[in-house]
Amino acid sequence: MDRYLSNKKAILIFLLPALLAYTVVLISPVLQTMYRSFFEWDGLGTAVFNGLDNYKEMFQDPLLMTSLRNGFIFSVVLVVFQIGLGTILALACADPRVKFRKMLKTAYFVPVILSVTVVCQLWIAMYDPTNGLINKLFQIMGISYQQNWLTSPTVSIVAIAFVNAWQFMGYQFSLLYAGVKSIPEQYYEAATIDGCSKWMAHRKVTLPLMKETFKFCFIIAITSGIGAFVQMLIMTNGGPGTSNYTLTFMIYRYAFLENKYGYASAISVLLVAISLVATMIINKVFDRKDG
Amino acid sequence: MKKVWFKSLTALVTIAMLSLFLAACSGGNSSQGSTGSSGNSGEEKVRLKVYAQHFDDDTSKPFDYAVEELKKEMPNVEIVLDPAVQDGYQKLKTYAATGNMPDIFETDWVTLQTFAKSKNVLLLDEFEETTAFKNKLNPGVEGRLIAPDGHIYAFPFTGIEFQILYYNKEIFEEAGIEVPIKTVDQLAEAAKKLKEKGYVPLSIFAKEKWIPTALYQGFVTREEAMGYGKLDEAGVTELPESFITAAHQLRTLQEAGLFDVNATNTNYDQASSLFYTGKAAMFVNGQWEIYSSQEKLGDKVDWMYWPAKDEETYEKTKYAVNGSPSPGGFAVSPSTKDPELTVKVASFLAQKAAEYKYAQLGSPIVSVKVDKEITAEIPPMMQRIADEILPNATDYAVALNNVSIKNVLDDNTQSMLIDGFSTEQFIKNLNSVLAKENK
Repeated sequence: MDRYLSNKKAILIFLLPALLAYTVVLISPVLQTMYRSFFEWDGLGTAVFNGLDNYKEMFQDPLLMTSLRNGFIFSVVLVVFQIGLGTILALACADPRVKFRKMLKTAYFVPVILSVTVVCQLWIAMYDPTNGLINKLFQIMGISYQQNWLTSPTVSIVAIAFVNAWQFMGYQFSLLYAGVKSIPEQYYEAATIDGCSKWMAHRKVTLPLMKETFKFCFIIAITSGIGAFVQMLIMTNGGPGTSNYTLTFMIYRYAFLENKYGYASAISVLLVAISLVATMIINKVFDRKDG
Repeated sequence: MKKVWFKSLTALVTIAMLSLFLAACSGGNSSQGSTGSSGNSGEEKVRLKVYAQHFDDDTSKPFDYAVEELKKEMPNVEIVLDPAVQDGYQKLKTYAATGNMPDIFETDWVTLQTFAKSKNVLLLDEFEETTAFKNKLNPGVEGRLIAPDGHIYAFPFTGIEFQILYYNKEIFEEAGIEVPIKTVDQLAEAAKKLKEKGYVPLSIFAKEKWIPTALYQGFVTREEAMGYGKLDEAGVTELPESFITAAHQLRTLQEAGLFDVNATNTNYDQASSLFYTGKAAMFVNGQWEIYSSQEKLGDKVDWMYWPAKDEETYEKTKYAVNGSPSPGGFAVSPSTKDPELTVKVASFLAQKAAEYKYAQLGSPIVSVKVDKEITAEIPPMMQRIADEILPNATDYAVALNNVSIKNVLDDNTQSMLIDGFSTEQFIKNLNSVLAKENK
């Protein structure tokens, strides 16, 4: 066995199929998209090379700012809700004093297994301004706060992001819970002997030891926010107007509604670049705390 | 020896992976041009693949009728239906991109423009069948057949369809609203009265962006008979005055509460249900809704002309119709094996679908003259259209061809239905796209 593991040629042979598949499925489309972004192309006819024109046009497009802003808001909502609340729930479920922990763990994960369409339809009904549950709840509680949740250009992006956050919180929760459970119990015992309170033990032991888990969760939440699309499409179709556009929605519009595949490719390149930069920043931030 | 073995294995794996990759990417042109013979009974049957809308009574019945008639006329032709999906013609574009175009396909002007550029649609100008079709056209519907560039790409079966305002007579009576409503101010007043009575004044499925755009065009046509066609003209880099007036009118009506607060998030089923269950007093849709509305509301429902800024304008422009003749219908693939025959079949299908709509549904809004008697009972609202609008129509709006302008218009008319979006924002956004596209 060792003979094979030290044989670079053997390693290469076994890696080759996976490497080829990866190249065909992932690298090639990305490179093709980058290449297409330098052309004016309707997806069917002859592509005409136009240099950086698509990029110049993109940075003057008023939809870009709306999309970037919405991507940012979406990411923030996901981080706050999925990671913030997910962590609290994970810590609670890991605490042996909490009753019905098994049931709670299942309950938090249930929305993940539902289809996005079902979840969106459910929340569309709940957000209905006249007959929806949310406004009715406020009314029952005597709170005069009533909203047009999905038709207000300012509120709707947060409302939609919340739906995504709610649905996939169980996924982040499961990662965080696994992270909490992987910390050896002795560390807490040592902290307790040293006089740490429960909160202090979490601050000094749990959070630092879960850094890798958090890093992964942050990357998922932020890149999901930047590339959000399905919820907008189902719940508001990007509207009212273009108020719920994200970069992915822009790509969809220009590629499939306006047949500007070259321009849509340029936006895709920006989307990939932003996601990579965000990932690099997160890595950097978490690595810095190492030292 | 070892090196030879390694090289051989590497080459083998690479070839295997590449073969798989190429096979996956080839798209398989095996089904291209599905014309062919079938059966072995002696007589050769030509099989034509037709991509057509076939999802409800309105779309499937005329098509099925046309296919049945085709069997009698051309028994050697077999139609293989590929039902169209409501996906903005993405499936059709994928067929085009992969070289798998059906022999005949039903599509709209936006898609035809792209197909014309990429040579995925057969130019029908020179075919004898086209001349025959042209001779049978109903007067005034030339724009449905002949594209703005002067070419013919598809055989239409409907005429120029248009939008109207439906209203519930009982609710209007209950709220003390007199008809006809002739001005925008009267409509705003009516909206307030209806709201006070607890009704949704106008139900609109504005989650689909085309319907607020169609609604806005109703007001635009009272000021500008060309409708949105005006926005396509070179040099129109600012929103014309008529459009600004109509935008102000839309805002006035929004502020008067004409639309439901959830209008921009309401789909067709929800909006029509509000109207048909008597919760909404008015409804906006095309004249094709007449059959459903008459069936569901009977004598309670009628339609009204679009209001104008004053009664004089209303009377003067009453017959400027909110409908644009854009080319569309059954087009033919350039890769079909026997173009002459396929063009003939496409034309036949279009004519027979028109015949069904005319004779069996009693719709006068069809592309070609039909020499059959109407067998159906014509709904009174459709009879009004036949008696009042069609013979008196002074103008039909002109289609907007520029997709970029159209999309910005769609976005902004939808935004006009919500609180807090100003006419100034509307004008600014439209001016921005006009300056870019029409310079």
